[in-house]
Amino acid sequence: MSDRHTAIQEIVASHRTERGALLSILEAVQRSSDHNYLSKEELVLVAKELEVPLSTVYSVATFYAFFNLKAQGEHVITVCRGTACHTRGSKPLLTQVLKQLNLQLDEEGTATTDDVRFTVHTVACFGQCALAPVIAIDSVIHSRVTEQKLSQMLQSLLEGKEVS
Amino acid sequence: MDEQMISCTIDGKTITVERGTRILDACERAGIKIPTLCYLKDVSSHGSCGVCVVEVEGAKRLVRSCMHTVMPGMVIHTHNQRVLHARKLNLELVLANHPLLCTTCERNLNCELQALSQQLGVRTSRFPRTKKKFEEVDVTSASLIRDPNACILCNRCVEVCASMQSVSAIQMVGRGLKTKVATFYDQGLGNSVCTNCGQCSLVCPTAAITEKSQAQQVFDALADPSLVVLVQTAPAIRVGLGEAMGLGEGSLVTGQMVSSLRALGFDKVFDTQFTADLTIMEEAYELMHRLTHQGQLPMITSCSPGWIKFIETFYPEQVGHLSSCKSPQQMFGAIAKTFYAEQAHLDPRKIRVVSIMPCTAKKFEAGRSEMDSSFAYWKEKLNLSEVERFADVDWALTTRELAKMLKQVGIDFAGLEASDFDDPLGASTGGAVIFASSGGVMEAALRTAVEKLTGTVLQDVEFASLRERKGIREAALKIGESTVKVAVANTLSNARVLLDQIKAGTSPYTFIEVMTCPDGCLGGGGQPIPTNADIRAKRAESIYEEDRSKPIRKSHENPAIQDLYARFLDQPLSPMSHHLLHTTYTKRVVYPLD
Ligand code: SF4
Ligand code: SF4
Ligand code: SF4
Ligand code: FES
Ligand code: FES
Repeated sequence: MSDRHTAIQEIVASHRTERGALLSILEAVQRSSDHNYLSKEELVLVAKELEVPLSTVYSVATFYAFFNLKAQGEHVITVCRGTACHTRGSKPLLTQVLKQLNLQLDEEGTATTDDVRFTVHTVACFGQCALAPVIAIDSVIHSRVTEQKLSQMLQSLLEGKEVS
Repeated sequence: MDEQMISCTIDGKTITVERGTRILDACERAGIKIPTLCYLKDVSSHGSCGVCVVEVEGAKRLVRSCMHTVMPGMVIHTHNQRVLHARKLNLELVLANHPLLCTTCERNLNCELQALSQQLGVRTSRFPRTKKKFEEVDVTSASLIRDPNACILCNRCVEVCASMQSVSAIQMVGRGLKTKVATFYDQGLGNSVCTNCGQCSLVCPTAAITEKSQAQQVFDALADPSLVVLVQTAPAIRVGLGEAMGLGEGSLVTGQMVSSLRALGFDKVFDTQFTADLTIMEEAYELMHRLTHQGQLPMITSCSPGWIKFIETFYPEQVGHLSSCKSPQQMFGAIAKTFYAEQAHLDPRKIRVVSIMPCTAKKFEAGRSEMDSSFAYWKEKLNLSEVERFADVDWALTTRELAKMLKQVGIDFAGLEASDFDDPLGASTGGAVIFASSGGVMEAALRTAVEKLTGTVLQDVEFASLRERKGIREAALKIGESTVKVAVANTLSNARVLLDQIKAGTSPYTFIEVMTCPDGCLGGGGQPIPTNADIRAKRAESIYEEDRSKPIRKSHENPAIQDLYARFLDQPLSPMSHHLLHTTYTKRVVYPLD
């Protein structure tokens, strides 16, 4: 049995009798994963250990937005594509990020670099329209982002420095 | 007044109903049939569509009559402007994301969504489509096709798969506009724990789940003069096909069914009931053998392919309890392409066996790789190579597919003269007829086994306790000094109960019959839509009527079966029987880890 299997067994055992056990288990499994996501194999293991149908586990994992089914980069860059941000040029910013990281968005609107260092997402609106265009990097909101500013931030991240 | 009774006012009429009555049932008693879409009586109540709304005085919002029960003194309006407007609106919201391709749709003229739009006078949807993506159609299953684009998210299939069958191959996944019914990781039904039972296709109000049709292959074979095309009909077809052809619920149409198949162009019209009698012979002898040789007990029947995949998947350690007998469909294919081929001097490679089944899982069963005993039989004799491999059964059509074929060629079904099955694979007894009903295989097996075990003639052939309309039935029989307990289960959730007893070592039974579908094959997933509890009861009545009308009611007394043993198989459980009529099982997994 792999280490991960043993770890999942322990997580399942510790939540098994709780109400809403599946949800807490999936949260714990994702939290303890390397790239903040639930792999297919992990979902199978959870279903098996908790003795629930695979389809049920998949249903829960796809219902809650905070579960990721794909590996998440060390740094998560979220570009707002809401109306306010759009009119203030969020499209070119998005294009710039993708180009600089050599990525293409999938149909879910996300993409992750092969080395799992960066994930790029879009959102419909951050609710910070007055500060448009808005980009979040690792949950920190950056307002009135310009191409130049964005380029600097990405460069720092690429060099392994903090973004100011 | 009785504590349990409450009164309410519906459209000005005062009516009294039992506490706990759903509003829509109360309305029905007041003479108003409330339209529904997601709700299905006895099956599913999801409350998502809002088509069933009524106005309740004092309530701010309209009330979904399928979800709420009547309260004392409730004043209900079922069809004022506000109600009618809201129903239309809710239906239009459903239609906004629907393909509306009725003319070319599988369910055209047999669709609840279409019928409801007609009933509510909805001609167009005022709402734009909100779903962006075209969803991929799932064709991975041997039995079913799922088209999520036609799905209205009523949840009926999910409910049936989970509650009735305890399988949960499918679930609602995703959220918001991306919500859809899917298997784990969208891997498709064919790569899931799905048992192919087709109960989901029976309850689906639209064309989102349909059988994988093989009608065209059959039309092509019928048109090919070099082929001899044989057809076999399962017991349950004779009480189902009539409905699909516009006759009354449960109407018994054996003779017209035979004539209609002849009119379609089949070379011979044979009966799966012939091999149902054969199954009883093999199975009764297998049971007796297990009883006298300390074999594994309880023995469990093996004629329902959904059940077979279920036990292989969820209880693989228990497959040893399964009878090794093939199902009647598969025994037929094996006998038709060996014994009959020899009798009729036919090249087995030129024979096509088509079965008409009440079942979608029969397609999967016919396609199982081990179901080619007739090829193995001929391989050496004719020096055949692997590329010439043929299956015992070529295509398995549902009752619904046959009805469509008959309509396509324009056969006037109701006006057909009745006719008889062809010889020799057409003769059957009452024991074979009742295979269509839950409890029937058990009853037929007992008619033979009890007689053989006790050595005395069984006078009363009807086992009343096996005919009770329950999910699990039992009977205790005195055989010589000992009492033998038997049980019958229909639906897989009920089968699970009996399997768990075996697992726990508490099963008191010697012999168990399991049927995948509610009330047995007559309620099969390939039967006409609608199929519900009332309709199933009528079909069952017709089946027992057909049994009573048969001059011979015990399988071992079927002269054609006796002849088959005398000329070909030798005796039950003989080497030839083992070779052609028995099978082995596959262990499967619920949680695949690569
Ligand atoms: S599912 Fe029903 S409403 Fe939809 S296209 Fe088919 S027949 Fe028409
Ligand atoms: S065919 Fe039966 S087991 Fe398969 S998804 Fe439908 S209801 Fe579930
Ligand atoms: S597939 Fe059919 S039964 Fe299942 S949710 Fe969709 S419309 Fe309802
Ligand atoms: S549109 Fe970007 S924050 Fe609102
Ligand atoms: S039928 Fe009542 S909400 Fe759908």
